[in-house]
Amino acid sequence: MNVMHRRQFMRQLGVSAASLPFLSCLPSLTGAPEARRRQRVVIMFSPNGTLPGEFWPDQEGEDFQFKSILEPLEPFKKSTLLLKGVYNRIVGDGDQHMRGMSCLLTASKLLPGNIMGGGGQPAGWAGSISIDQELKRFLQSRPETRTRFGSMEFGVAVPNRSDPWTRMSYLGANQPVAPVDDPYQMFAKMYGQVKDRDSLLSILDDVKEDLRKVSGKLSAWDKQMLEQHVSLVRKMEQELSAPLDQAIEHVMPPPDSGIELINDNTPKISRVQIDLLVNALANDMTRVATLQYMRSVGQAQFRWLGIEEGHHSLSHDPDDNKESFAKLQKINQWFAGEFAYMAQRLSQLPEPGGQGSMLDNTLLIWTNELGKGNSHTHENIPMVLVGGGAGLKMGRSLRFDKAPHNRLWLSLAQVMGHSELTTFGQPDLCVDGPLPLG
Amino acid sequence: MTDCPSVAQRTLLFQTCGYWWVSALFLLTGLALAQQVDQGAQALALHPGAAIYRKMCADCHGLQGEGVRDKHEDPLVGSRSVAGLARLIAKTMPEGKEGTCVGADADAVAAYIYDAFYSPVAQARIRPVQESLSRLTVAQYQNSVADLIGRFTPGFDTPPKEDRGLRTVFTGFAIPTPEEIEEKKAAEADPIKRKELQKKPRRPEKLERVDPVVAVHLGAESPAPAKMIAEEFQGRWFGSVIAPDTGMYEFVLKSENGVRLFVNGTKDPLIDAWVSKGSEVREERKSIFLLSGRSYRVLIEMLKYKDKSASLEFWWKKPHGVLEMVPQSNLVPQEVRPSVVVGTVIPADDRSDGYERGTSLSKEWDQSMTTAALEVASAVELDLDNLAGTKAGAPERLEKLKAFAKRFAETAFRRPLSAEEEGWVIERNFQKAPTPSVAVKRVVLFTLKSAEFLYPEVSRAEMRDDFLVASRLALALWDSIPDAALSKAASEGKLHTKEQVQKEARRMLSDPRTKAKLRGFFQVWLDLERADHASKDAKEFPDFDETLRADLRQSLFLFLDEVVWSEASDFRRLLTGEHVWLNKRLGKVYGEKIESDGFEKVVPVHGQSAGLLTHPYLLSALAYNRTTSPIHRGVFLSRSIVGVQLKNPSVAVAFEDAKFDPHLTMREKVSSLTKSVSCAGCHGVINPLGFTLEHFDAIGRFRTQENQKLVDSVVDFESDEGARVHFEGPLDVARHAAGSKQAHREFVRHFFHYCIKQPPAAFGGGALDDLTEGFASSGFSVRNLLVEIALEKALSGTEAAVQKVALQSPQSVPTSTPPHP
Repeated sequence: MNVMHRRQFMRQLGVSAASLPFLSCLPSLTGAPEARRRQRVVIMFSPNGTLPGEFWPDQEGEDFQFKSILEPLEPFKKSTLLLKGVYNRIVGDGDQHMRGMSCLLTASKLLPGNIMGGGGQPAGWAGSISIDQELKRFLQSRPETRTRFGSMEFGVAVPNRSDPWTRMSYLGANQPVAPVDDPYQMFAKMYGQVKDRDSLLSILDDVKEDLRKVSGKLSAWDKQMLEQHVSLVRKMEQELSAPLDQAIEHVMPPPDSGIELINDNTPKISRVQIDLLVNALANDMTRVATLQYMRSVGQAQFRWLGIEEGHHSLSHDPDDNKESFAKLQKINQWFAGEFAYMAQRLSQLPEPGGQGSMLDNTLLIWTNELGKGNSHTHENIPMVLVGGGAGLKMGRSLRFDKAPHNRLWLSLAQVMGHSELTTFGQPDLCVDGPLPLG
Repeated sequence: MTDCPSVAQRTLLFQTCGYWWVSALFLLTGLALAQQVDQGAQALALHPGAAIYRKMCADCHGLQGEGVRDKHEDPLVGSRSVAGLARLIAKTMPEGKEGTCVGADADAVAAYIYDAFYSPVAQARIRPVQESLSRLTVAQYQNSVADLIGRFTPGFDTPPKEDRGLRTVFTGFAIPTPEEIEEKKAAEADPIKRKELQKKPRRPEKLERVDPVVAVHLGAESPAPAKMIAEEFQGRWFGSVIAPDTGMYEFVLKSENGVRLFVNGTKDPLIDAWVSKGSEVREERKSIFLLSGRSYRVLIEMLKYKDKSASLEFWWKKPHGVLEMVPQSNLVPQEVRPSVVVGTVIPADDRSDGYERGTSLSKEWDQSMTTAALEVASAVELDLDNLAGTKAGAPERLEKLKAFAKRFAETAFRRPLSAEEEGWVIERNFQKAPTPSVAVKRVVLFTLKSAEFLYPEVSRAEMRDDFLVASRLALALWDSIPDAALSKAASEGKLHTKEQVQKEARRMLSDPRTKAKLRGFFQVWLDLERADHASKDAKEFPDFDETLRADLRQSLFLFLDEVVWSEASDFRRLLTGEHVWLNKRLGKVYGEKIESDGFEKVVPVHGQSAGLLTHPYLLSALAYNRTTSPIHRGVFLSRSIVGVQLKNPSVAVAFEDAKFDPHLTMREKVSSLTKSVSCAGCHGVINPLGFTLEHFDAIGRFRTQENQKLVDSVVDFESDEGARVHFEGPLDVARHAAGSKQAHREFVRHFFHYCIKQPPAAFGGGALDDLTEGFASSGFSVRNLLVEIALEKALSGTEAAVQKVALQSPQSVPTSTPPHP
């Protein structure tokens, strides 16, 4: 018998999904513009800190110059807001990288655990919900902002391991959300499973019944696990039934089937993932998304930039190591380029049923787990905001004095309409309220 | 280093057990247990240490050692001895009033808390740890699916024989004889004869041999210049490739000719470059996901037709490896039958208990299970008639498909279906589905998503002991489902006594799946993921590159395999083995002369080698990119070798090399950084152990000097038993650990976690000690330990276990074996 190659499998899924009649290019069925404009937010992560001197502009206010790393954002300068002085002040278990990563979007302490950091400061998962998932929860709670997925977690070259250096999104304490770094899997999630929908739907009832049947004989604790499983099956049933009602406005062709998920294909994978992400936003499958490059302490080798050394090793080199410095500059510039590509794609698409471009209704945030790679500082965490989704005055470079990043996420919640949220993450770091972003 | 440097600042007081919080989730049930605890508690309350504890300790630690919020929050549980506890108390307690609880008082408190709540036995009594319901882990799922489909292609798991290489067959045409040339010449003038001659088939020529590796460079010649013409011929290489690790394999064919590569099947080529494009040598590469320890059929085809020259090389890049020619050791001339490897990416398992286990669910996991089930169902659909042993239109096809569906479900459930289940799972689907093949597809989808398959213990109430034992053995030893032989033994009722099960386990030991599982253990125990990514300063260590790292990895596994698969399989040899495996490249860097082209066993001249402890692969992982890191090394030696469970420190101090006087040695820097009293608890253990390895630099090369100063690796170490042990270097540490019960017990615990994915205490408070004793009396045989661990789990709660318990003395009967639901 022949083994089923995954690529082939995905290809089959993809082709058949695209050939289904309901996926043809339909005009928007929603008709009149919505009462309140759609607002979307995308958080992009790249690891191992930046080079502050090549990142932050020397000037404050509207009249500022991009430094080398942010040069790719030049076309979007008027839509850019730079926030210097945001400080991840979460202390406790976990090393700087771990906390940098897993407290980045949660802004609260890590739970105790057995995951070893450098020299042994073990910690577990994050202790609370991350801001992207909080926004999802909020948006999904209201019929007018509810979408098929609520949030989507994209990854690029994220190693297949599960630890606090690899996860930034959390549904809640101890509930990391794994980013999907396989475009074929993402494509299948968005469009693919329709083919096997009927087969699946015909057995899901049986699966639920089977789970219920066996759980009758189990202890209360074990039963709980199976109940959770049943609810997952139920959720899947709902999702499988949902997409047929939805009009797809921008059909995405299946990704080129030849891309293998290996380090050297990262640039290709990155672009496919961004295209899928933009497509998901255009089709209103979600209004919240994350895009995670690699992982904290990631050792990606940027061979496509002529760099052989692992990213994390390079990030440890001292500033006066000119060679490493130049390489890190290139690496961070590459990330900026991918971020700019995402902005560009969104700026080229008109807002479905609304005003302006999609970028005018989307807020893109690019961040990092460290302020600087070789010092492991949590001060001046890179925060680059692009797009009009927040309704903020863009085209500025702002400075804050060691402002806890909790406050930034509070501001984000507010501009997204989630104004009941008065604290986020560790409450004592929120006493000064949302960051004034004007 | 994959993580940043830092050291603990807070005092190490007591050690936490990895399974503490798990056990805390379970509530005590059953009147009998409650009474036991009551009686025990009354007796302990009268203990002389109890009064002192209540007076001097309970304020911060809680009456039951449970911890007090904002004071000392961590529960007092751990694995120190009574004597070890007493010393610690006398030295460091109560905080701020040290010296007020010493001598007999300290001894009394230690004895009291040890029995009341501190020791693992006390913990097992207070909070009986139970097995948590677990789903298949990623590796278990992948292996189970491969073996499940494999059940319908008998022979797919036949272990490869000893011979290595690929069977090579060249086919082409014979060089014409003088008569034939003469005949041809004569025919040229005669069109009729010429046509006749053209119709006459050319004389074939064939060459067969076994190639150790695939590397042919023929130039313009044929493979058999005296017999075969060079203009046109085909080459084929038949056999299998052994995949040492799970992961993506990149295969490369280098050739200027037409080439094809099939891996794990002969329908669709992985590489298809059959059309040659000029005379340049091309590199054709493609990746495929393979599971560790298994063999996969390979077929390489090559066509030369009027190309100027012919050559072919077969390369690969395996996980953790570098691009290299596929070595002879991984090529087998026999062709195994194809297997199904699930390509769907499954989210990594939760490791927050310190080992991978299937005790958490997520939406991503459920989704990947669905995608994987669809993937397998599609694979089954494509090959259904073949798997079911029938063909389209055959009169008995419906019955064959039903039989296939039933056998599929039974293999996945690891037991026969009841009549009721057969009606529900099989018959109903065949009645409802539009066609029999759709019915099979639905059965496959349902089975792979069913609780019975995904949670192997979920239907144990319905399982006869034999099937339960078979299921557990296969998971413990192979991370998979039982093979045909094991299932047969179960259905014949031959897994009923301990001896029968032992015999079966011993048979399973020699299977490549066991080797794969053990290999996985070393990956986890030695945290090789870290070593796989170690990178070094290119100026200081120009030789330390990807290739060297891959060589080091191979060197380490040669050593591990050699020890573990030797007759004695002696754990102590892992620590004290005085040799290391080196090839020429490694020899050059590590200062040893290697003559042959492969790896050689070398006893380094410095005479300081101590097995794993000084293996350069580990030493380079446990170091910074320029300098050593005694702290990383010390933590590793404490936790993984000497068996000291370090408590979680809460505040970090970064080690910043630049902040120290550059004339200092690393030992001096680390000593100064950790000199404060609050560091001493942890670093009193970590530093001395780490310092013993200071003779080995950041890539594990032996040195006598650092910073123009003589290296000092001599330390005094205070063991848990209270003895001051003098260590001159790593070999002394190795000998100490080899003879230390604590080290043995911790090794058994690590091994148990990895194999069973449950805490040993779930099998009775004495399980760990019993296994450790058995380990010692077997001469520390790792293989034997593996069998004993598998037996512990396999027999738990079965009749055979009841027999076993009855035969033993009453003292060793576990008092808190959890009742099975």
